[in-house]
Amino acid sequence: MAYEKVEVYSPRSLAEALELLSQKREAVKPVAGGTDIMVMLKDGVLKEKELLNLSFIPELSYIKESENRVLIGATTKYREIRRSPLINAYSPILIEAIRQIGSPQIQNLGTIGGNLGTASPAGDSIPPLYILNSRVKLQKLGSSREVQIDKFFLGPRKTVKESDELITEISIEKMDPGSYYFFEKLGLRSANAISIVSAAAILSLENNTVKYLRLSLGAVAPTVIRAVEAEELAKDKELNEELIDRIAKLAAESTKPITDIRGTAEYRKKATYGIIYEALYKIMKGYGKKVEYGFENTS
Amino acid sequence: MEANVSFFLNGKKVSVKAPPAKSLLRVLREDLGITSVKPGCEAGECGACSVLLDGQVVTSCLVMISQVEGKSVITVEGLEKDGELDPLQKAFVEEGATQCGYCTPGFIISAKALLNENPNPTDEEILEGVSGNICRCGAYPRIYNAIKKVVKKDGV
Repeated sequence: MAYEKVEVYSPRSLAEALELLSQKREAVKPVAGGTDIMVMLKDGVLKEKELLNLSFIPELSYIKESENRVLIGATTKYREIRRSPLINAYSPILIEAIRQIGSPQIQNLGTIGGNLGTASPAGDSIPPLYILNSRVKLQKLGSSREVQIDKFFLGPRKTVKESDELITEISIEKMDPGSYYFFEKLGLRSANAISIVSAAAILSLENNTVKYLRLSLGAVAPTVIRAVEAEELAKDKELNEELIDRIAKLAAESTKPITDIRGTAEYRKKATYGIIYEALYKIMKGYGKKVEYGFENTS
Repeated sequence: MEANVSFFLNGKKVSVKAPPAKSLLRVLREDLGITSVKPGCEAGECGACSVLLDGQVVTSCLVMISQVEGKSVITVEGLEKDGELDPLQKAFVEEGATQCGYCTPGFIISAKALLNENPNPTDEEILEGVSGNICRCGAYPRIYNAIKKVVKKDGV
């Protein structure tokens, strides 16, 4: 079996982990929750022969607040994010997406840094991170850098992270109070289904006029994308059915989907239109979710 | 490649020597004789290998044994107390919530995790609580009834 030939290092601190990565000539694969790596290992597609187990580095798991951002340690589990009063209050779109990831089993193992490191275009935490203008902190021995989320991904399963670097923190914006948001995904079952199409949006309205729209799409291009043309079109316009139709059309045109076992490229384009139209229509009719900065409802 | 890992299995300390990237599922079955955890998909999608890891439900196929050092693992073998089945186990028996039985231990573990955290879940919470488990015989209505039975007994 493939696992018999794999070595695992289990450092007890970040310093120890970075030291170890700096000494290695060949890439060592970091393992956070393990939900992707273990499947790759079983399928025999994991290239690396050495793994870096991040389970015993407590300093990488935290959620804290700075002035207008929330900072999330890379190995913070989905479970903890879902239950975080800070994120529920300030950046609930991330909660909305994480609720729909995997299953209780996966949410108890999977981490936000792991979702970034895996870099699947269908990773469900990623569309919200795009419109929360997130920054990814990469650390190596003796230095660190922050990368804007849209500069972090190079393609499916490819990122700018060097093999001696670790993802250590993700910082996200606090959403404006009163803004609307949605995260919608299409999959084959509600639990444990890889997204065929996903969309995340934040919409700020004043007297039914769009102050700004931020819209990102997952699983319809080599990386998650921002639907920039649709965002620009929406600005300062009245939210009505005609505008919603044009936003959804422009967003669908900005996709570059592939055909795979989960859906055809044509289906993905049509579905992109459909989920955006429906979600914006709900907001227009008063059924949208709104940022309240309240601390009551943690789910 | 081998590593020594010690952890608490159903309340008792155990030590195993195993390849460090071996899954907890395979260590439980092959090295420790715990066969209630079933290898279904071994990809985290079916839930048949679910265990409680430090009290939280996880699919043991996705956990490396190296990650388990010092932690607590509970399987259905560890649910009975003094020879008495757990109320959930009893309810599964009484409701006939099992057909081939392959998914049953995983469902019971998921339901246990849910009820430990939330003794009086709504229907929606029950469905979400076991959403990571699949029953290919289609015993879902009886599984639901069994969980509901325990909720009603203990619920306020």
